[in-house]
Amino acid sequence: MTKNELTVKTDRLILRPLERSDFDAVLSYYSLPDVQRYLDWKARDKIEAKVAFDALRKQTRLTRPGEIITFAIVRKTDGAVMGHVSLRWADAHAAQGEVRFALGPAFRRQGFGSEAVNAVITMGFADYKLHRIFAVTAGKNEAAAKLLKHLGMRLEAHYREHALFQGEWDEELHFAILDREWQRSAKVRDLSRHKVA
Amino acid sequence: MNVSHVPLPATVQFAPDYPVETQRLLLRPFSRGDVDAVYSYRSRADVAEYLFDPPMTHEECAEAVRQRIGQIAFSGEGDKLLLAVERKEDQRLVGEVSLIWRSVADAQAELGYILHPDAQGQGLATEAGRALLAFGFEVVGLHRIYARCDARNLASARVMRRLGMVEEAHLREHMQVKGRWDEELIYGIREAEWFAR
Repeated sequence: MTKNELTVKTDRLILRPLERSDFDAVLSYYSLPDVQRYLDWKARDKIEAKVAFDALRKQTRLTRPGEIITFAIVRKTDGAVMGHVSLRWADAHAAQGEVRFALGPAFRRQGFGSEAVNAVITMGFADYKLHRIFAVTAGKNEAAAKLLKHLGMRLEAHYREHALFQGEWDEELHFAILDREWQRSAKVRDLSRHKVA
Repeated sequence: MNVSHVPLPATVQFAPDYPVETQRLLLRPFSRGDVDAVYSYRSRADVAEYLFDPPMTHEECAEAVRQRIGQIAFSGEGDKLLLAVERKEDQRLVGEVSLIWRSVADAQAELGYILHPDAQGQGLATEAGRALLAFGFEVVGLHRIYARCDARNLASARVMRRLGMVEEAHLREHMQVKGRWDEELIYGIREAEWFAR
């Protein structure tokens, strides 16, 4: 796929590959502690952040296991880069994928994260033929847990004190959904009662 | 106190005094003469049903026993205790029990057990597992020990619960095992829970 073909539109969002000019927008949330928890690249200063940003920008293909595809989450109304969302092809034999997302604090609690994650899960099942997509979140991150649950994902794991994270015992939640469950919830909607009766 | 009769290399950090004695069992290192006894349960389809490996040939059991002879102490991450479970009353080897040091930094380990069907249903797996939990928490100073089983293996899940472990994960179709979608349970027990029994 070319970069243009990688653009996805939803009601309020454009998901497209990150561009060089998105750096300042990404930097504004990338180094926040609650975001750092989930990232492959640490960004304690601007140089580290640039390295991390360049790596994210190269994530434009999902052709083999281990690869990640990352999109900027752009608001249609004003073009603001609010965050990014990624899909990782986690497993060759069992068609597993992991969705990750980060949103700037100013753009939270408005359903933008949910809309972006929804689109990427649909893409994972429809375009990449994944069998199961999961998401990992910290036990304390109520907002992320709520978002994933609302999308119909099932809480499959709550690992208690399974690892130390920056000197503290960590709690980790895993949410997951199978392709056949996603199709059912996304496409085969029940008719509303008043329309039938 | 038992005096260990098993010579250990100088790099060893933690090892139980062998044999580890419980009410009805001795947990001891494997020896070359154990191949037939191991074959008597690892060759069975009903035992292999819930394991990652298919039923083992006599030759594979001989190789497994050869490996296990040295798996008796913790020197570092990834090391395994893989012990023969011998019933005291008739000196019969009825199964195996294991503890794997999964993470040194996070003080985590994984417990495992396999018993001959003849010896199941009598609390022997629980008795052997409890001895390794005691070693893990009280000698090694681990923070959390987990165990996992096929979701259909209700007997194994019962053992984990009897050991005071709590269900932390129920993973669905997260991998394929022997050509089939796998469903897995993970139970865990934390240090504080062990000492609060």
